[in-house]
Amino acid sequence: MALLEVRDLVVRFRTHDGTIYAVNGITFNLEAGETLGLVGESGCGKSVTNLAIMRLLPKPAGRIERGSVTLDGVNLVALPEADVREMRGRDVAMIFQDPMTSLNPVLTIEEQMVETIVAHRAASRAEARKRAVELLGMVGIPHPETRLRSYPHQFSGGMRQRVMIAMALALEPKLLIADEPTTALDVTIQAQVLELLQDLTARLGTAVLLITHDLGVVAGMAERINVMYAGFIVETAPTPELFARPSHPYTVGLLHSIPRVDADEGGELVPIEGVPPDQRRAPVGCPFAPRCAWRVEACWTDNPPLVPLEPVSTVVATGPGATHQIACHNPPLPEEARTGRPTRPGFVAAPPPDAVFDELAVAAPDLEGTLVEFPTNDAREGRR
Amino acid sequence: MSLARNAGAARPAELDGPLLRVDDLRMYFPITEGLVFEHHVGDVRAVDGVSFELRRGETLGLVGESGCGKSTTGRAIVRLYRPTSGRIEFDGVDITTLGGDQLRRMRRRMQMVFQDPYSSLNPRMNVAGIVGEPLEIHKIGTPHERRERVRELLGVVGLNPEFGVRYPHEFSGGQRQRIGVARALAVNPELIVADEPISALDVSIQAQIINLLERLQDKLGLTYLFIAHDLSVVRHISDRTAVMYLGRIVELAPSRDLNQAPLHPYTVALLSAIPIPDPAVESRRRRIILRGDVPSPANPPSGCRFHTRCWLRERLGNPERCTVEDPQLRELSAGHAVACHFAEEVDGSPEQRQSAGQGGASAAVAPSWAPAGNPRSAAPAAQGA
Repeated sequence: MALLEVRDLVVRFRTHDGTIYAVNGITFNLEAGETLGLVGESGCGKSVTNLAIMRLLPKPAGRIERGSVTLDGVNLVALPEADVREMRGRDVAMIFQDPMTSLNPVLTIEEQMVETIVAHRAASRAEARKRAVELLGMVGIPHPETRLRSYPHQFSGGMRQRVMIAMALALEPKLLIADEPTTALDVTIQAQVLELLQDLTARLGTAVLLITHDLGVVAGMAERINVMYAGFIVETAPTPELFARPSHPYTVGLLHSIPRVDADEGGELVPIEGVPPDQRRAPVGCPFAPRCAWRVEACWTDNPPLVPLEPVSTVVATGPGATHQIACHNPPLPEEARTGRPTRPGFVAAPPPDAVFDELAVAAPDLEGTLVEFPTNDAREGRR
Repeated sequence: MSLARNAGAARPAELDGPLLRVDDLRMYFPITEGLVFEHHVGDVRAVDGVSFELRRGETLGLVGESGCGKSTTGRAIVRLYRPTSGRIEFDGVDITTLGGDQLRRMRRRMQMVFQDPYSSLNPRMNVAGIVGEPLEIHKIGTPHERRERVRELLGVVGLNPEFGVRYPHEFSGGQRQRIGVARALAVNPELIVADEPISALDVSIQAQIINLLERLQDKLGLTYLFIAHDLSVVRHISDRTAVMYLGRIVELAPSRDLNQAPLHPYTVALLSAIPIPDPAVESRRRRIILRGDVPSPANPPSGCRFHTRCWLRERLGNPERCTVEDPQLRELSAGHAVACHFAEEVDGSPEQRQSAGQGGASAAVAPSWAPAGNPRSAAPAAQGA
């Protein structure tokens, strides 16, 4: 049994604007001590997945409509609220993107850390305080004794994130969910925080669910990666395999959208055209079809399931030997994945069956029409 | 209406001189105390002696971490601020202290694209109003001509010309940034200062905007000052890159040189900190972890501003020179200037080779998805050296 098992999770939000289809049936496992990357862009459902696991979905709008989230054999979806509170912090802790909004600005770090420790452990305040000093030292905060009495605003962004990590690991949870932990930080500070996170979780044997939009961050941190798009997992593989053989058109597109600092020449970027789908519409067909250069007719009507890339006798769900799976009717060939474009002779992406295209979709820039110069009043101004 | 002035503008740069010359630019923001009687107790030295030139038609990248003064530099150049001291010359004209009508006329030739497409577009104006506003301000064309121009501009940036009647909230982030670009282009500028134009956008949309900016430059002969915190993006789009730290340029070089053979210890650390989306490269890279945070620009360290965090200084046994003498930008090879007393020690060091992930033994192994047209696979190993 894996530490965390997410089965067919469906999360929807009911708003004034209608239903938002945020997470549309995702399944994945996470082994104890494993680091899994959840990669995708804003709105792909990666953070909602996290909130669903923590049972922190905004009420009453957000609801788990279907599926289960099992942690250590306990189904969290059905757990009473009091037990959920016990579970948070003790079994699962999380760190957010912006530590300033997740720390209480009117309490010192000491008050916040001691409160957490006392709430979960039958410890005295003095013991809890000793533990807090120890934790701050562990995350590399200089002079932890004195810094404990500081308020959050007296720390820099990187230091605040260290404080968050110390608090999250205070109770030695089995699972740490890190939701864009370094997105708000400068790149040299990001490097510090990632190194710290990697060291500590390896030392404590904590499983990590790392949620990020940055493929570079997961490449160095995660052992396995789920790529999400529009509330679906579209590709999953161990990290080396995913980067060696990206096989879903979206993954291929993402990799061609970012310039690499180690590339010799600035090769041309191949952007993913268009915009992510409006999730107020129930998904029909493959969610990526409107932006996909490899789409075939079936993509408009049938949403492909997540299946092994190559036939296997048993699907391995976790670990470094996990099965590479994709959800695609017409995966790019390895050569096409290299160039980022379909190269099969005569292949044309299937046009939409009817006018379901997002009317706001971006057109190719019209650079052929010459931009005319305007009659100006420079001459008049000159006369003045 | 005549043809585009810029499109055919292949003026020989050597004859014309640089489009923009910035000389010892300083921008201090005062720190005051007291509620009733304010008195001046110090300055935040956001930009503290920055000099560079921008040639016609080139893209200069300005890169650095938050608080390094890159945005302030950009804003001072288009004169959204009045610089504390120094000189800004645009096409040979000193614009440092221009005001009123003269400044307005100069601004027609330089436009800005901002980072946040959510706050830089007026939510109460429709798109045609936003894109056409610069034309109105500069009293260009008749109302009919302006409407035509707006339609044309929307097409140029890849939006449906019919969308002029819509409002910003109806568009996604990437589309809003296209509107921002269209607005900047409206008055046919020569220089565009783009301040983190893609940082607020999703990864899949970023490449759309980068490609759009590149195509527009080819087509219209634009000159860009491209400001960003992401060195990989800057290097992709820029001919030359300037790295800033605490209000100063610490290294300025052709982008290729800067990436392959960075000479400032800060640039080396910055490059090594950028995660590369390739686990094979990531696993063999050694990252230089800088200690601590960037010091306050209100009270910058003595001597070299980077000395408090410098890995090289430590390596060299903390030479006194770093804490006493302020290093000036000096040219070590053609067009490659660096402000470090010991830059020669960086050249050829393992840190330098490792920084951009090109050093390791298996550098010749290309990832299967290396960008098209990228000769990485054919390149010899360890180019950085």
